Amino acid sequence: MDCFICSGAQGELQRNPGRRLRRCLASLLLALLAVAAAPGIASAQQTPRAKALGLHLKCMCGGCNDTASTCTHSGGAFAGPCDTAKAMLKEIDQRIARGESDGLILQDFVQEYGPTVLVEPPAKGFNWLVWITPVLAPLLALVLIWEVVRRWRRRAALELAGGPPVSPELLDRARREAEKESDE
Amino acid sequence: MDILGSFALLLAFLVAVYAFAAGIAGILTRRALLTKSARHAGMAVFGLVTLAVAALEYFFFTDNFSLAYVAAHSNSALPGFYKFAALWAGQEGSLLWWSWLLSIYAFLALFLNRKRHPELMPWVGVTLAGVQIFFLTLNNFVSNPFHVFASADMAGIFHMARLSEGSGLNPLLQYPEMVIHPPMLYLGYTGFTVPFAFAMAALLARYPGEKWIHITRRWTMVAWCFQTVGVLLGAHWAYAVLGWGGYWEWDPVENAALLPWITGTAFLHSVMMQEKRGMMKVWNVWLVFSTFMLCILGTFLTRAGIVSSVHAFAESSIGAWFVGFLAIVLVVCLAAWWKNRDYLRSDNQLDSLVSRESSFLFNNLILLAACFAVLWGTLFPVLSEWVTGSKISVGPPFFNKVNIPIALFLLLLTGVGPLLAWRKTSYDALKRNFAWPLAGGLVSGAIAFAFGYRNFYALMCLILSVFVALTIAAEFFRGARVIAAREGVNLLTAVGTLTMRNTRRYGGYIVHFGMVLIFIGISGQAFNKDIQQNLSPGQSLSIGPFTIVCQNYDQVQNDNYQSERATLEVFRKGKSEMMLYPERRFFNASQVTETIVAVESSPLRDLYVVYAGRSPDTNQPVVHAYLNPLVKWIWFGGIVVVLGTGLAMIPDRRPALVLRAVSEKSWDGALAPAPGALPATAPARGPSRSILRKSEGEE
Repeated sequence: MDCFICSGAQGELQRNPGRRLRRCLASLLLALLAVAAAPGIASAQQTPRAKALGLHLKCMCGGCNDTASTCTHSGGAFAGPCDTAKAMLKEIDQRIARGESDGLILQDFVQEYGPTVLVEPPAKGFNWLVWITPVLAPLLALVLIWEVVRRWRRRAALELAGGPPVSPELLDRARREAEKESDE
Repeated sequence: MDILGSFALLLAFLVAVYAFAAGIAGILTRRALLTKSARHAGMAVFGLVTLAVAALEYFFFTDNFSLAYVAAHSNSALPGFYKFAALWAGQEGSLLWWSWLLSIYAFLALFLNRKRHPELMPWVGVTLAGVQIFFLTLNNFVSNPFHVFASADMAGIFHMARLSEGSGLNPLLQYPEMVIHPPMLYLGYTGFTVPFAFAMAALLARYPGEKWIHITRRWTMVAWCFQTVGVLLGAHWAYAVLGWGGYWEWDPVENAALLPWITGTAFLHSVMMQEKRGMMKVWNVWLVFSTFMLCILGTFLTRAGIVSSVHAFAESSIGAWFVGFLAIVLVVCLAAWWKNRDYLRSDNQLDSLVSRESSFLFNNLILLAACFAVLWGTLFPVLSEWVTGSKISVGPPFFNKVNIPIALFLLLLTGVGPLLAWRKTSYDALKRNFAWPLAGGLVSGAIAFAFGYRNFYALMCLILSVFVALTIAAEFFRGARVIAAREGVNLLTAVGTLTMRNTRRYGGYIVHFGMVLIFIGISGQAFNKDIQQNLSPGQSLSIGPFTIVCQNYDQVQNDNYQSERATLEVFRKGKSEMMLYPERRFFNASQVTETIVAVESSPLRDLYVVYAGRSPDTNQPVVHAYLNPLVKWIWFGGIVVVLGTGLAMIPDRRPALVLRAVSEKSWDGALAPAPGALPATAPARGPSRSILRKSEGEE
């Protein structure tokens, strides 16, 4: 079987048609990829999984608060993806290709850069506090408010009891008016 | 001129010290003349700092690069208005700017009240002078903008040196908004000093009644309004200049600006509890105190750079001064409160949990929870490093996860709170007020869901936004209908009359409506799209309904920068719609390149295109396009918020008619107000809303 792409290729290939076919298909694939990439994505090709993982990692370029998947720098020679971010994504890509799990990849990044590489601190150890406090604090405040409200209400009861004597009719009328007022 | 500037600054410091000392002496000895002299000194600081600012501006405009600060932040080719703005481009100038704005506020506060509140004002003057002393200390002795280049010869005589050219203004700051954004934010930060001074003064002088709250409310609104504008302009600047397609990244400096805004918002709400019901006095005093301290913290975070930030251009080691000042302020606040805590006893009680009072309590709880979450996330890396020794990051995902639910709950309260009556609301009233708006919200949510609006938070935000907007509209409609019927005018005129009769209430609703628009705008983020691609002339990229075709790249240059500009034609459904020209500018003086984003903005979506430059890998030009839905609503909402705030500051045009209606028909039938619920002068402001509404309804 002859192929228009590899016709006239080296002797070795001609001597081994099976290998030639494989080579041929491989070049065809490469050519197709090259065509597909021609208008091409500027950054290194990343799998969606790599991009998703990159969202959990802080870009370690040191100049931003951004993630490895989103870091671009407006200053400097190129405002596209930052080199550090690209290198990080490339590493993720390679690790995914090696079949590593997401957890392992993230863990290795933490080992390399320290926990600061994670955009959100993991909810364990001391850093657990960062997550639990914003939930606990309002609850605690709610309890405090409850206590304040209870005290205000108790004072309301006390003041009514200690007030000047009021005839039952007047009190009744007052209640009716109050209800009417709040209905309006 | 440099001598004049630094001399004026030094004199300002001395005068502030005098104002402080003479103020205290005047209070202790009860000598009116001393108090008056302290007040005049406090006002004179304004003149002196103005002189220093004018001197520094003079150096900028005359391109005098013998001054280190001018040489570092300007160059001769810089356009005039950027030379003006270069004043606050660096730390020394920013702090001078702080002092100047503070001195304006102090001058106005002292001057406008010179014949009023004779027992309160001396304390106000002392507090303002105390804050001024701190900033003028920084200006004079820590971060002086009037340092000159000089060299000593063999004989030990100094000679002034003058650079031939400055290093130019940071290109990120060369954007029209940068001329307005910092002054606005600083007017916010410094403005909160005035409420702080009044609160402190009222506490120290044990000033009777709620007068200080009335005075403070308006000053707080001014500062709050500036802070709102400052924060939004900052967001818009980040969006339009930084070129990453977003406007908010939970950067420590952004957070720092948001914190006093949140507590200021809480104060503007809880202040009503004290005015109407004499409640939450301790709370209000502490809200004002914390707002001021958060302003100082904000300035500190911007200046000291203890947490990494895109605002790194403002960093320095000035932090210790701020920490020291914050500690002093905290101690003074604690001491003043502890000594006078009996003065802050609440007058009233809570009658029902379903009432305006409890909605304010929740409002404050939620706002404070948001404030705490932001502060906690911002400072936690520092705390964690201190405790565990290892650095961690608390990035945007944390803030979004924590704050989005809080914000949505707040949005719900925005709709519910204002319609609950003071003291107690009946079930029927609840049903009547909320049934239709809630139905409207749910229906619009269902429609949006059917059209593919499939994000939980965005959908909740939309439903609640429509609900709040409808409750506001219903409030205007209900009031205006009565006026229209009574005065025989059309509904639109009636809305105007209604608003002007109670500017605070209806201005407040407009502010709420503006916030609703901002929330809708923010929720659009859930549907952002972006694509980045090599784009040589003739090539195209597609995003959403748009196809962007590159026509060519050309060069433009002037004295300040050289620029490479892409000409892109945007097609929609095969039809040419517009041209976009994103640029990259190389600034000669600073040798830095920046992107100039091209944005085509419509109410539905922004098409935001960045020319990223040539890829270092392929040498092909690269274009990054973003499709950001609803962003315009944020900026428009901001304008509405500012208009509403402005309206709420206008005094009411309340006709005497209301007084008569109340006294004739409703007053004798209505429940007498609880003791202390209404100040003696209250009827002019309307004894209570329900009575006013009733009287209008009856006529």
